Amino acid sequence: MDRRCFTQACTGALLAQGLSVWAGPVQDYAHIKLVHPDGAPLKASEVGTQEALVFAYPLKGIPCYLINLGERKASTQSLQSPDDGDYTNPEGVGPKGSFVAFVAICTHQLSYPTPAASYLRYAAAGSELGGGPGRIVCCAHGSVYDPAQGGARVTGPTQNPLMPVRLAWDPATDHLTATGTVGRKFFERFFQTFKGDLIEQYGPGVYRQEVEGSAVAVPLSAYSREVPAC
Amino acid sequence: MSDRRGFLRNSGLAAAAGAAGVMLGGSGCATAAGPAVATGRMAALPKARGPRLVVVGGGTSGLTIAKYAKKEFPQFDVVLVEKRDMYSSCFTSNLWYAGLVTLENLANHSFLDAAVNNKYVYFNATVTGLDRAGKTLVTSEGDIKYDYLVIAPGISYDYGKIGVNDIDTQTTLRQVYPGGFVSTTEHVTLHRKIREFEGGVFVQTVPSGNYRCLPAPYERACLIASLIKHNKIKGKVVILDANPEVTIKAEGFHAAFDQLYKGILEYHPNAAVKGVDPAKRTIETDFDSVQFADAAIYPNVRGSTLIEQLGLLAPATKSNQFEANIDTRFYNIVGDTSVYVTGDSRPHPYSKSANTSNTEAHYVARVLAARAQGKEVSWTTPETICYSVVNAFPMEAISVKAHYVYDAGKDAITGFSPDTQVFNNRDAAKGKATLEWAKGLYRDMFNA
Repeated sequence: MDRRCFTQACTGALLAQGLSVWAGPVQDYAHIKLVHPDGAPLKASEVGTQEALVFAYPLKGIPCYLINLGERKASTQSLQSPDDGDYTNPEGVGPKGSFVAFVAICTHQLSYPTPAASYLRYAAAGSELGGGPGRIVCCAHGSVYDPAQGGARVTGPTQNPLMPVRLAWDPATDHLTATGTVGRKFFERFFQTFKGDLIEQYGPGVYRQEVEGSAVAVPLSAYSREVPAC
Repeated sequence: MSDRRGFLRNSGLAAAAGAAGVMLGGSGCATAAGPAVATGRMAALPKARGPRLVVVGGGTSGLTIAKYAKKEFPQFDVVLVEKRDMYSSCFTSNLWYAGLVTLENLANHSFLDAAVNNKYVYFNATVTGLDRAGKTLVTSEGDIKYDYLVIAPGISYDYGKIGVNDIDTQTTLRQVYPGGFVSTTEHVTLHRKIREFEGGVFVQTVPSGNYRCLPAPYERACLIASLIKHNKIKGKVVILDANPEVTIKAEGFHAAFDQLYKGILEYHPNAAVKGVDPAKRTIETDFDSVQFADAAIYPNVRGSTLIEQLGLLAPATKSNQFEANIDTRFYNIVGDTSVYVTGDSRPHPYSKSANTSNTEAHYVARVLAARAQGKEVSWTTPETICYSVVNAFPMEAISVKAHYVYDAGKDAITGFSPDTQVFNNRDAAKGKATLEWAKGLYRDMFNA
């Protein structure tokens, strides 16, 4: 254990529940259970492989994607965030290790899903800009990320991966819980950039508040009126 | 999907590479190139707290360099000198004409906010001279000493190359039939013209050479045609193209011409403008005399006249468009590592477009930061990602994603890289993406 690890992250990692492997300096946040709009807990077995689900974490104004990679298993690696240093992305969870989650903000020029539109999407079947299947594609400038590789850049102008969200899966209940993420400084930059829009969407200061208790997860096509399939 | 060969063959890159050089001084702007001597009246700026980097020009290139040079090397004391007191983008201005975005989309971006967000000073002044020996920039608001100077002034028009040499006709064309590729006030005039068009022929000309935003005149023609069709106007758009073929995304544009605008849009290749009679509203080409009800006359493009005024022109063997004499890879004036020229006054055969300037500026920011620390960085290509909206109802676009190849033996940019892709199939997804493409650029220039 090096000094940076000790001071920055290990406390959080060790406290995290349901994790078998330590996963780099991922910041520990409140453990938030993912639920349906009616409040019923979301089960991993209910999550399809064709579309990402959107939920807010760890702050109310930070959109995240939950993705079921299907038969693909997520791998871990050392990655570099744009504002928050290096980290090792968390492992996939679930019966096959195929459930992963990311902060749904393109690290190139910060496109993110809103109720009006999302230019960042999980293209399960492949796409014009993304090429092969199972990639996260940003329509704005063609940044492409691989969710099975910790959200690492595949191609396009972005210099960084998508920020990861650490998940836990309870085999007894099949429930999914978000437990941590990377990006405290990145979130601040995002808030500065979109402050006016976020106040409009959430109310003054609300977007900065921590998510409490549970987070509603809905398919991206239900969350955003328009999801261009670029 | 990718017709790279066609793309290369028809592109402005090929056209620019094959064009012959011309003598300087034909533009009516070839005044003595001797730079103005410093006035001794210093600009009202705080004392530099580190190596002073002065960036001239608050367009895509200058705004991006000011931000990212500071990010790369926080010791830089950055001053952005811009003559405008209000920003408005040239990119996506075509969309405003068709009502797809508002003027607020183009202009609701503050130089002040950009400076505060990114820890530099915005200085509202016009550059009038340069004393390179004394490392002093002369402006309308006083002199500024620099350690590093970046000049990113964009383009100027060259009416001589479309056969309009008398200053009276040039002035009339600038004011009555503006090209719409330099200033905001041109955009406002064009917006009015297009909204007020009630019938007859609307001419959109396309110049030869490496002009600003290769697809833009075709995109504009499509959008005007889209309005004509939508509003059932008894009129048509005529494109007079100096080139033998649509210069980029040719397949996608031709598909739009043929499938969406038959009888509404006429495309005339090899139709270089040889003269204009504004009183009779006629345009002369080698083959025709075209009568128009209204027009957007896009003359040839040259490096900004500021480059010539400051004595920074490349020799005619290197640029036939009055562009700057800079190092191919590192952008400094040849023989002077303190002064750089970026953006559309570069002599490179790059696309003169916002995304190219933005990505180029990211790289030049790293060059400057490295050199301020006695280091060098290796060359990286700019990226040209460019959407063209070919239909307004519904909004549909085509796009291109290009990189470039540097040939060390020739010390020149020789073409597009093999990974270049053209997406000629118009669809609504790319139409929507166009809007987010622009918003991302604004964020990259104005936000932290």
